[in-house]
Amino acid sequence: MPNDNGVSRRSFLKATSAGAATAAVAGCFGGDEGNGDGNGDGNGNGNESGNGNGNGNGDGDLSNVEKAQQAWERAQDNPAPEDEETRMEAYLEMEEAIRDDMILLPLYHGLTERFWYDTVEVEPTGSLGSHRQQHNETTTEDGTLNLINSGVSSLDPIQSTDTASGVIINQVYENLVHYPNGVPEVENQLVEEVNVSDDLLTYTFTIKEAQFHDGSELTASDFVYAWRRLAESTASERANFLVEPGFLAVEHETEGEGEEATIVPDSLGVEAVDDRTIEMRITEPQPSTLDILTYDSFAAMPEGLVGDIEGYDGEYSQEQISQEVMVGCGPFQFDMWEGGTEVQVTAFDNYHGSGPELDAIHWQIIEDDEAIRTYYNERNADIFGIPTPFYDQDKIEAEEDDMGRQIGTYGELENGDTVNYLGVSEMSTFYFAFNARYADKAVRQAIAYVTDHEELINQVFAGRGVEAFSFTPPGIFPGGNEAYQTFVEEWPYTPNETDREGAQQVLEEAGFTPDEPAELTLTTYESEVFNEAATITRDKVADLGIELELEQSEFNTLISRGEDGELQFYSLGWIWSYPSIAYGLFGFEPENTNTEKIPEDADGYYLDWQVEMESEE
Amino acid sequence: MSRWRYFFQRVLLSIPVLFLVMTLLFVILRMGPLDPVAAMLGPEASGAQAAQIRENMGLNEPLWQQYVDFMVGLITFDLGQSWVLRRGYSVTSMVATYGPRTVWLGFWAILLPLFIGIPLGFYAGLNSNSWGDYIASFSGIVWLAMPNFWLAIMFLAILRQTQGGGFLGFDWYTIGPNIDSIIGTPPLDFVGFTQLFPPGGFYFNGGELAVAIKVILPAAIVLGSASMATELRIGRTAVLETINSNYVETAKAKGLSNRVIIWKHVFRNALIPLVPIITNEAFLLIGGSVIVEVVFGINGIGRLYFMSLTQGDLPLAGSLVYIFTIITISMNILQDLLYTILDPRVGYDQ
Repeated sequence: MPNDNGVSRRSFLKATSAGAATAAVAGCFGGDEGNGDGNGDGNGNGNESGNGNGNGNGDGDLSNVEKAQQAWERAQDNPAPEDEETRMEAYLEMEEAIRDDMILLPLYHGLTERFWYDTVEVEPTGSLGSHRQQHNETTTEDGTLNLINSGVSSLDPIQSTDTASGVIINQVYENLVHYPNGVPEVENQLVEEVNVSDDLLTYTFTIKEAQFHDGSELTASDFVYAWRRLAESTASERANFLVEPGFLAVEHETEGEGEEATIVPDSLGVEAVDDRTIEMRITEPQPSTLDILTYDSFAAMPEGLVGDIEGYDGEYSQEQISQEVMVGCGPFQFDMWEGGTEVQVTAFDNYHGSGPELDAIHWQIIEDDEAIRTYYNERNADIFGIPTPFYDQDKIEAEEDDMGRQIGTYGELENGDTVNYLGVSEMSTFYFAFNARYADKAVRQAIAYVTDHEELINQVFAGRGVEAFSFTPPGIFPGGNEAYQTFVEEWPYTPNETDREGAQQVLEEAGFTPDEPAELTLTTYESEVFNEAATITRDKVADLGIELELEQSEFNTLISRGEDGELQFYSLGWIWSYPSIAYGLFGFEPENTNTEKIPEDADGYYLDWQVEMESEE
Repeated sequence: MSRWRYFFQRVLLSIPVLFLVMTLLFVILRMGPLDPVAAMLGPEASGAQAAQIRENMGLNEPLWQQYVDFMVGLITFDLGQSWVLRRGYSVTSMVATYGPRTVWLGFWAILLPLFIGIPLGFYAGLNSNSWGDYIASFSGIVWLAMPNFWLAIMFLAILRQTQGGGFLGFDWYTIGPNIDSIIGTPPLDFVGFTQLFPPGGFYFNGGELAVAIKVILPAAIVLGSASMATELRIGRTAVLETINSNYVETAKAKGLSNRVIIWKHVFRNALIPLVPIITNEAFLLIGGSVIVEVVFGINGIGRLYFMSLTQGDLPLAGSLVYIFTIITISMNILQDLLYTILDPRVGYDQ
């Protein structure tokens, strides 16, 4: 189900942030009323300026940027399971540093919404998104599940970077572990048992008995082969997940220098001990190992299927594997892909797990809002998303379940039907970020003061979103829900209100007046809604001492300008691939935000936060 | 032979034009602000990863080398591979898949207006200043004023309501061949060969053809709407001019019947000014098909072009521009050829 109806519907699969943001902003994001009210009531009292600074951490002398740097290093230095608490404290400190320094202003968390007709029985999905859902338990009246998808780019797991492709790959290929229905709790898929050595560096996986769609039996060497492709194939786009520090950091050798460096064939620290056992050696402890292994690209594939790495001739070319052939051991096997129009998979009878109950899944590829509306009103789609122009928040009648999901009904649609409704708060954060080189702290704080999250979501996003006060989504916030509530209560910039006085005060203290304003350019990508949000912000600060210039930038251009350190103030989003706090916060390690080093030697957000570190030393 | 010389001059002139377009494409694609690697990987593109892709795509070669490769590729119609939309898939295959759908749409978008616009125009011309003329001319102007994207959305909204009967008194889904959806790509496999080399096993499926026509009909009417109105108005003027010309007077004086005058003289001559109008419409259709294909969910070249632009799939977008250029230039040459053959005045005064 496309939850990303927008100008450009291409959303990057899990790992990448702003690609999805481009789409999501104009798309199906739903409001969570309960959440909004709660925040409104709980806050707004006693949040005078300065309240949030250095609140009792015992390191009041440190600047926020140094606090963030030290906290990150502390978390990195304590990777063992028993150090969980130390890491959580460090992550919380980072969140506080981000908030108090206002280097990045979180705006909202996405909300995935799904609508479906009564003819379908389908499990509600979790916060990791519906693209994680394998339909082996879904049933429909006529045995075929009809869905809408956006353009599919590749069927090869190692090339999978967008959700549209991921949705299909996920039905056909399987991994060691997965998140059933997108609920953020790892479960076994093809693995039976996982053992970790005492030094946390060697993993031993015992795999289940399963059959590939071509009839061959799954063995350990199939995984080794598939992961070697991920590391070595020139088509691979997620080799970093396997070998780079911060991700799995599996042992390997490289040859060549700098940009030219490539992985030595067959040097990967992954071995088939016997037919059912895989051994994997990593170079540094990684608490999120299993989470990372859920990523599509780690899927098993029959050994020697493609000849794009050394030592294999291959039955198919990489182009065929990416466009015409799929051989996995999932509940569905590939049937057809009609260029840009439709994709179909059919039930695989020898599936190792339970199901599938369906005979087939059919995806119609439609990207235009009007066309989507027509298609679901014709009852041609069983499960679908409603594009924002046709979405009406008042038509939702839903109640919250024990996982915080809104479940109920929506309707009537144009055709008179009332359909089932699911709203799930997503692991994503959309934000305005500042580059410290251009934006003075007072300016950043002033903008936070005048930002009214609630108003923004209702006015601009048709109520489809959840206010964000921290970068890390509430679901995985360090210290749990209680810590999150405290964090929000301590939010120093008058939440859900346009506090012009607060803004004026910080600006005046820093010497900015309407006559001598701070000048800043806010760059948004070409999205109606983000432009509107930017306009609202500009108008609010216009007579306070900030002259905000607005500009739009095509998404890819925005990214490369960010990398060059040319963005002063910009909008982007981040979507979590797996429920790990570090996976979002790594980009805030001040030294990692240095745009002079991005993208080669640093991969943080384009904040240049390290600038403040040097000046205060 | 001066008019043939004129024609060959025109053909020769198109070569530098094409060359210029190709060079311009190269400049935009390789030297413009768009980073192809960021387009492919998104912001998480790591250094080594990005470097490898750069290397694979030949972006590390010296610029002149890239330029030569690019030009040779285009000339030999080796259009490279898609970067984003269908990773690693050859552009030529994509054009072969998507192209026929747009041709099918374009065919009906030209044909329908011809059979509605011109007869209406002739009717209006023959009955000038009657109520029929007023209604036809006025609705033609109104029709022309309605933008394609709006018209397309209206068509969808109205036809959708007819599901299971409705206020219009018919069910579009069940009239004629049954269809599941008013949007989507028409099935074009109603005719073909089961075997390509050597051609054999020709088949034809009338039912499929009917479905293919029905699916494309609303989109074709929308796409052809502007030309329909133009043809109506020009047809009307042409008929009026012809009717009032001297030779018609002469024919009347000779005592020819009205029927003969109109069918044999007026219509034939009134068609002449319409011919360049119709050929020119082909250009408009290339541009217009983008919006119509997007709204009606037809996966043709227009939509492919739109997607490749919005998603930064530069080799694909570039190749499509190249193909559009070739089509436009060939159409121009064809027009010149027709003029050269039909009109002896061409070229004499050069």
